[in-house]
Amino acid sequence: MLNELLRVEQLASGYHRVPVLNDVSFHVREGEMVAVIGPNGAGKTTLLKTISGLLQPTSGRIFFNGQEISGQPPHTISRLGIAHVPEGGRLFPNMSVMENLLMGAYGNREVLKTGILDELFELFPRLKERRHQLARTLSGGERQMLAIARGMASRPRLLMLDEPSLGLAPVLVDTIYDRLRVLRERGLTILLVEQSVHHALSLADRGYVLENGRIVLEGACAELSRNSHIRQHYLGL
Amino acid sequence: MTDTLLQNLINGALTGCIYALIALGLSLIFGVMNVVNFAHGDFVMLSMYLTFWIGLWAGVDAVFTPLLTFPALFLIGLLAYYALINRTLRQRYVTQIAVTVGLMTFLRALTQLIWKAQPRALPYSLIQGNIQIGPYTILASRLVSAAASVLAILGVYFFLSRTWAGRAIRAASDDLDAASLVGVPYRQTYALAFGLGSALTAIAGGLLMTFQQVDPTMGVRFGLLSWCVLAMAGLGSIPGLLISGIIVGAAEAVGMSLWDPRARSLIVYLLFILVLWLRPRGLFGRK
Ligand SMILES: Nc1ncnc2c1ncn2[C@@H]1O[C@H](COP(=O)(O)OP(=O)(O)O)[C@@H](O)[C@H]1O
Ligand SMILES: [Mg+2]
Repeated sequence: MLNELLRVEQLASGYHRVPVLNDVSFHVREGEMVAVIGPNGAGKTTLLKTISGLLQPTSGRIFFNGQEISGQPPHTISRLGIAHVPEGGRLFPNMSVMENLLMGAYGNREVLKTGILDELFELFPRLKERRHQLARTLSGGERQMLAIARGMASRPRLLMLDEPSLGLAPVLVDTIYDRLRVLRERGLTILLVEQSVHHALSLADRGYVLENGRIVLEGACAELSRNSHIRQHYLGL
Repeated sequence: MTDTLLQNLINGALTGCIYALIALGLSLIFGVMNVVNFAHGDFVMLSMYLTFWIGLWAGVDAVFTPLLTFPALFLIGLLAYYALINRTLRQRYVTQIAVTVGLMTFLRALTQLIWKAQPRALPYSLIQGNIQIGPYTILASRLVSAAASVLAILGVYFFLSRTWAGRAIRAASDDLDAASLVGVPYRQTYALAFGLGSALTAIAGGLLMTFQQVDPTMGVRFGLLSWCVLAMAGLGSIPGLLISGIIVGAAEAVGMSLWDPRARSLIVYLLFILVLWLRPRGLFGRK
C-alpha cells in the first residue's frame, strides 16, 4: 500500500458562516491521480481552497504527508509542497510569463537551480516563445498552461488543479489533458477537480463525486464510468 | 510675459519630479493593499521637520539627511502598519479611513506641539547658486532635487522588477490569493510596501528642504498633490507617475503665476476633479 500523501477527515467549510462542505473525507496516495467531479456549485472550488489554506475549515482535519495542515495560512501550506492551480488560472496579469514562473517558485527558490524552468519550457514550448510577454496578453489556452507551469515551478509533491478545462475550446482541452498525462506518467501526485467528467475520468486513477457539499460516490475511475448515475447525469449517455 | 510663464513652468516641472516620488510611495501603499492613506502627506511634512531638526542640531545637510530619515520613516511606516493598518484590513472601509485620518491629525498635532506653528527653514544648503540657461534662471537645488527624485524613482523601479521582495509586492497587488498560494506571506509584504512607501517621503522631504520651508499645515497640500498625481497616472505605470508629477507641478506653478499664488491648492484640487471626471482610470494606468 502506497503512502497517503493527503488525507481529509470529516471536513466542513464555507464562507462567512454559509456552510458549503459537509463531512467530506477522502485521501490521495503518493503517485496517484485523483479526480473530484461534481456539478457547478457542488463545492469543488471550496474544497481546494480549504486544503490550500485560503479558507479555514469550520471542522474536520487535513493531513499532508502525515502532518496536520488545517488552520495554517496558504503561504505556509504551499511551502510544504502543495501547489494549488486556482480556477481560472489567476495569473499575475501585469507580470511577464517568466516572472509568473519565477513567482511560482517563490516559496522554494532553491529549485530554480535544478533546471526546473528548462523542464517547464520543454513541457510547454509556447511559454518559452512568450516568456517576455505580459501574462495578460496571453490567449486562454496559454494562460491555463502558464497557470499549470507556475504551479509546477516549485516542484510540488501534490498538484491540485481546479477545472483546467474551464472556458477552453475542445482542442485546447485535449492539449491541456495531454500535458497532464505527461505529468502523471512522471509520477506526480495530482488532485484534479473537474466538471468535464469525461476528461477527468479517462485520465485519473480514482474519483470522488461531490454533490451539494457531500461525497456521494467514490471508486476507481473505470468503475465510476460504468455507474448508471454517472452515465446519466454526468456523461449524458 | 512668456518668459515668466516658461520660467514658472520649468520650476514647477522640476518640483513635480519630487511630487512624483511622493505619489510613488502612495501608489505602493494604495496599489498593494487598497488602503487610502490620508496620512501620506503628513509623512512628507514629518520628514521635512526631521530634516530641519537634524540640520539644526547635528548640522547634517538636507541633501544627506535621507540617509538617516529614510530608515526612520521606514520604521515609522512599519509601526503604523502593524499598530493600525494591519488591524483594519478586514474591517469596513470607513474604519480604515477613520484610522488614517486619525493618524494624519495626530502627526499634525504632534509637529505643532514640538515645532509650534511657525514655518521653519534651513539656513543653508550645500547646493548653492543658480544655473542660467538663456533667459531662464534655474535654482541649482531644484535641479539637483529633481534629478535625485528621478534616480530614487528608478531605484524603486529596479527594486520592484529585479528583487524577490519587489516581485512579491507586485504579485500581491496583482492577485493577493494567487500570491499567497505561491508562498508570499501577505502581511509581511503589506508591511514592506507600507514601510517603503513611507520611507520614500523621507527622500522627498529632504530634497524639498533644500529650497523651501516647512509648516504643520503642509501635510494636507502634499496629500492632495499626491492623490492628484496618482489619479492622473493611474495604477501600475512608473513612467506615467513621473509624467503626471511633472504635469501637476507645472500646472500648479503656472496657475499660481497667472491667477493667484493663494490658489495653489485650489488649482491642484480642480485638476484632480478634472482628471477623475474625464479619465477616472488615469492617463497611463492599466485597465
Ligand atoms: N466567495 C463566496 N462567498 C459566498 N458563497 C460562495 C462563495 N464562493 C462560492 N460560494 C458558494 O459556495 C457554493 C459552492 O461553490 P464552489 O465551491 O465554487 O462550487 P464549484 O467549484 O463546485 O462550482 C456555491 O453555492 C456558491 O454559491
Ligand atoms: Mg469551481
